[in-house]
Amino acid sequence: MNTRAGKVRKGIGKGNLAARLLAAVPANYALSSLAAACVARALAHGLAVSAPEASMAATLLSFAIFAVLALAAFGMRSVVRLWLWMLVSGAVMGGYLWFSLTTGGRL
Amino acid sequence: MALVHTWTGLVLGWLLFAMFATGTSAYFQDEITRWMQPEVTGTADPVASAQGAVRFLQRTAPDASFWFLTLPNGRSATTQAFWYPGTGTSGQTEAVLDESGREVTVRQTNGGYFLYRFHFDLHYLPVLWARYLVGIAAMFMLVAILSGVITHKKIFVDFFMLRFGKGQRSWLDAHNVTAVLALPFHLMITFTGLVTLAAMYMPWGILANYASPDTFQSAVFGDPPAAERSGRNVPLADLAPLMRKASAQWGGREVGVVRINNPGDETATIALTRGPGEAMGSRGEVMVFDGTSGRQTGGSLPQGAALKTESVMIGLHSGRFAQIALRWLYFLSGLAGTAMVGTGLVLWTVKRRQRLPDPERPHFGFRLVEKLNIATIAGLGCAIPSYFLANRLLPTGMAARADWEIHTMFLVWLGVLIWALLRPAARAWLEALRLAALLFAAVPLVNAFTTSRGLPVSLMRGDWLFVAFDMVMLSLAAAFALAAARLAARQRKASAGRTMGREKAVRA
Repeated sequence: MNTRAGKVRKGIGKGNLAARLLAAVPANYALSSLAAACVARALAHGLAVSAPEASMAATLLSFAIFAVLALAAFGMRSVVRLWLWMLVSGAVMGGYLWFSLTTGGRL
Repeated sequence: MALVHTWTGLVLGWLLFAMFATGTSAYFQDEITRWMQPEVTGTADPVASAQGAVRFLQRTAPDASFWFLTLPNGRSATTQAFWYPGTGTSGQTEAVLDESGREVTVRQTNGGYFLYRFHFDLHYLPVLWARYLVGIAAMFMLVAILSGVITHKKIFVDFFMLRFGKGQRSWLDAHNVTAVLALPFHLMITFTGLVTLAAMYMPWGILANYASPDTFQSAVFGDPPAAERSGRNVPLADLAPLMRKASAQWGGREVGVVRINNPGDETATIALTRGPGEAMGSRGEVMVFDGTSGRQTGGSLPQGAALKTESVMIGLHSGRFAQIALRWLYFLSGLAGTAMVGTGLVLWTVKRRQRLPDPERPHFGFRLVEKLNIATIAGLGCAIPSYFLANRLLPTGMAARADWEIHTMFLVWLGVLIWALLRPAARAWLEALRLAALLFAAVPLVNAFTTSRGLPVSLMRGDWLFVAFDMVMLSLAAAFALAAARLAARQRKASAGRTMGREKAVRA
């Protein structure tokens, strides 16, 4: 038990901790916002849910996404892996959002 | 994960403690207001109250851009009126009115409503800043709860291990018990709390589909944004038939909120919202009328799954639908939440004290946390009863009286902070806890001497609201006194232990 705790503590060094905090708060908020926007667009345009419903469903979901990402930021073993995941999913969602907004427009 | 729990818990724990305590009191905000307006008795009819309020506002703020009325329900007897003044009217923007539209001028107070607003708007701060701060705290709380469950893997087993009088172990047990006992409540209240201000914290889901949040609001509530005043005066339609029509439409449920845009102008609109206590969903149905002809022009759309979920989440958070038994359960769960945050804060210091290089002279960070714990936990314990005492002791006709009730509360709170900073921590804890007990105990006493509704009289008359209020004050006084007594006993034991240790050292 002790050795495992020791390893985890060693795993989160100072630079490591800063990278995780950055992932857990500002990057997390950006990613959750992107996710909320993408879900709102996908529901309204892809699945033909009414716009108010789609926006509200996405908003409610975004808080759960934020909480889970915050935990993942400290729970994932490799900080490099963590950032890679966040950057890739951010780029995919950003791309979809850009495409959806330029082709669909807003109300 | 333990790291996340410890530090997120500490950084925002002080704010969360105040939010939990005042939010808990808000489940009884109407009852607190009634206690703070002892001269107002009986019940009020919502329709007559709305008409009375309109008469008052036609005199006081005829050219306001809007009037906003929160009507009395089964629990309250007064109308809360807000308005945005037009040019040339006085600076007044709110009033508490009785059924006939007269301002309640004796013993002006913000009552339980102030504690409710403090819960998410704080005080002396711009409202927007306060709400962002509160939102950040709530988000941290959500993360602290989830990481807390992961940290205490044996949390459910530990729940059955409440060990009293064992120092750190007892604080940890108390923290776990208050957390687990009401864990579903904590999780629900935190998530739904975020949802109440979701459009502010997370506007991106709305902005992805709407160029302006106003378009979304109008689509949901069927209430188009207010037009400019045209300048042509047309008298306002009578509210009574409109309110009856709305009630009939909603299966007999009453109107709770009235909003009138551009009153007295030909562009006036009247929006009636169903009372939040009438159903679990708090986003009540809305009916919108032309303000001059009284013709219905719009209303809220039937809600789909997401909007209904949001409405029920906000309803669950504010508990306005709850009848008396459930309301008490809400109150007790809120107290458990307050205790969970409080014990968590104390645990932080207890756990670290043993690891200090010299427990007699802790480093600055440790001392700061300890003093802020005193100022928050015992300090708020002194501040809240001071608010109630100020209500009874400030002259009833005093100018800006309602504000001074609030200032009194914060002055006492500041006083405890300064006291905690100046005194040694161990003494300050004891003194502040004792003061809190004394102040809570003083509330029923002062009430008995300054009003005709003291505990003996209210018991004989069956005035249960006043009986319950006084009993809660006495219970809180007992809780603080017990905490002080246990702390004093522990300190005596500890100092006896130290003296013995020193004697042994001298002899050796």
